[in-house]
Amino acid sequence: MLAIDYGADDVIVIAGRLDSAQCPAAQSFLDKVQGTVTLDCSKLEYISSAGLGVLLKTQKRLIASAGKLRLSGVSSHLRDIFVYSGFDQIFEIEPAR
Amino acid sequence: MEAILGVTSALAAPFDLMTMLAEVVNAAKQVLDADRGSVWLYDPNADELVLEVATGIRPVRVRAGTGLAGTCARERKIINVPDCYADPRFDPAVDKASGYRTRCMLTLPLVDHKDVLVGVMQVLNKAGGVFDDDDEVLATALAAQCAVALQRVRMTEALIEGEKMQQELQVARTVQMSTFPATMPSVPGYDAYGTSRPAELTGGDTFDLSLCGQGLVAVLGDATGHGIGPALSVTQMQAMLRMAFRLGASLETALIQVNNQLAETLADDRFITAFVGILDPVAHRMRFHSAGQGPILHFQAATGACTRYKPTSFPLGAMQLTSLRPAVDVDLQPGDILMLISDGVYEYRDAKDEQFGEERVEEIVRAHHSASMAELASRLLESVQAFANGAPQEDDITLVLVKRSAATSAHRTFKRSFDSLQGIFDFTSEVFARESVDRGLLAAVDFTLEELFTNMVKYSTTSDAAVRVDIATIDRGVEVTLTDYDVEPFDVTQAPDADITLPIEKRKPGGLGLHLIRRLVDSVAYEYSKEERRSRITFRKTSAEAPKAAAANAGGEDARD
Repeated sequence: MLAIDYGADDVIVIAGRLDSAQCPAAQSFLDKVQGTVTLDCSKLEYISSAGLGVLLKTQKRLIASAGKLRLSGVSSHLRDIFVYSGFDQIFEIEPAR
Repeated sequence: MEAILGVTSALAAPFDLMTMLAEVVNAAKQVLDADRGSVWLYDPNADELVLEVATGIRPVRVRAGTGLAGTCARERKIINVPDCYADPRFDPAVDKASGYRTRCMLTLPLVDHKDVLVGVMQVLNKAGGVFDDDDEVLATALAAQCAVALQRVRMTEALIEGEKMQQELQVARTVQMSTFPATMPSVPGYDAYGTSRPAELTGGDTFDLSLCGQGLVAVLGDATGHGIGPALSVTQMQAMLRMAFRLGASLETALIQVNNQLAETLADDRFITAFVGILDPVAHRMRFHSAGQGPILHFQAATGACTRYKPTSFPLGAMQLTSLRPAVDVDLQPGDILMLISDGVYEYRDAKDEQFGEERVEEIVRAHHSASMAELASRLLESVQAFANGAPQEDDITLVLVKRSAATSAHRTFKRSFDSLQGIFDFTSEVFARESVDRGLLAAVDFTLEELFTNMVKYSTTSDAAVRVDIATIDRGVEVTLTDYDVEPFDVTQAPDADITLPIEKRKPGGLGLHLIRRLVDSVAYEYSKEERRSRITFRKTSAEAPKAAAANAGGEDARD
């Protein structure tokens, strides 16, 4: 299961598993986001390559209008995925505290 | 009821939908003495009724629940309307369009024997009156027959459609497979092998091993997802890369241009992770970029350890690229293997949801690194299969393995004669070329061989046995062994005059030559076997650091005494 919604301070909180099945829901939420936003990933347990695609599509759209998607609370496990896929070069990644 | 039995046999024959629909309408008109009839098919995905009017005209669609037909589909009950224009559910638009006037109408659901709604049948304008209770009973019986017949045809058609699709996919698979190298390129001193096993008929993985002017091009690509869409993307990427290198593009240019082309055309949430490398088989150096493809494993034969390399860039097609981080250079020593493996291997999950992982891959390469790369690939695939223990393959699996041949040795025997020298030089030259040994070392090796061999000819006059020369490639150089049979011991590493067991000769045994040898080569060792009356001299020559520096040194030492 996946939950995605606004938390405190306009930070978007994503929780659960972002696999192929959950991508449409996450995409339709992120499609409405504007400007520079932070996605709190501290409760994100898993991300598939389709999930990376959702983040990529959002990042491209936001960058086109001078905004961006920032990822915070990234666990070491998720960080490995971002690094091994080269996504650390596309996103600003803030590690989990 | 006889009329119904009559139409049942008529309904058994047709196998295509349009003929069957016409038969059903005819049967209804005949049995119910109606002027016109039509059959709506139910589309469960859209929850709509579809009326196929005639070939070439777009079918009419009605949402379930609206109008007479829609209401009938929703409620699955027969609706008998004696005066249509008095019923609010009736839509006079069709009459308006056709100029026909509908008076009365019987609408009945077509439900098959498994209680699945197949469609709705409507019959209009009973000859000389309206539809009565008897007509309703007759129509209901007829509807059951029609529903089963229609469902049979629909399923047959779906089956045929599926079969066609399967054939198309089979063609797509053949096309994709034909883009993979038919035979692995032959590179002296190297063993390169690649293979790909799609999870479905076509795969989102690709690979390439091909020779270009710059060396051996090695590619492994993995598009997001699998199936026909990603297969088209990766195949396009592989073709673009191959063409770029054929046109002489540098690694950087090829990567940037192919990335930017893909970024323009791929959907926004799609990308391709790719390793693109060029091996210089003489310098034994693989220069590579990895666009989100990782980890890249470098197995080192000397230590048995594996180095894991991370990507140098984000996946291809993700965004436009203007510059790149520097490429990574991997120096391959004899026996080293560079392993490009798609995540279909690393992330293969068994029934307990455990991943195959990197450690298992490393264990297998350690156990089988001396095998051929084709065999190592089979071992890896077998291990993945054994690990899966029946769990299905969910992602495409692709392996590209590039191995620098392990230290190999070649030997030849030479007649104990000065005439053999040219043959010895030919032999060293041949081995250096075949094993891609730094040619800067050749002069020192030939000089040393000549000195030692002529000593054997000059001082072992009692023996007619041939002298054996072994050349083995070692890290950055060679190890050469001369074996001299049926001789007295003579240790070249010691002062020659210290050996009093030698046959007496006037001349001192090449004192200056031996002196030089000890300075020219890295090491000289001597071994004697009393039982076999055999002398063995082994020397090693390697490039000190970078091959260039060593070449300069060897050039300076070329003078012979």
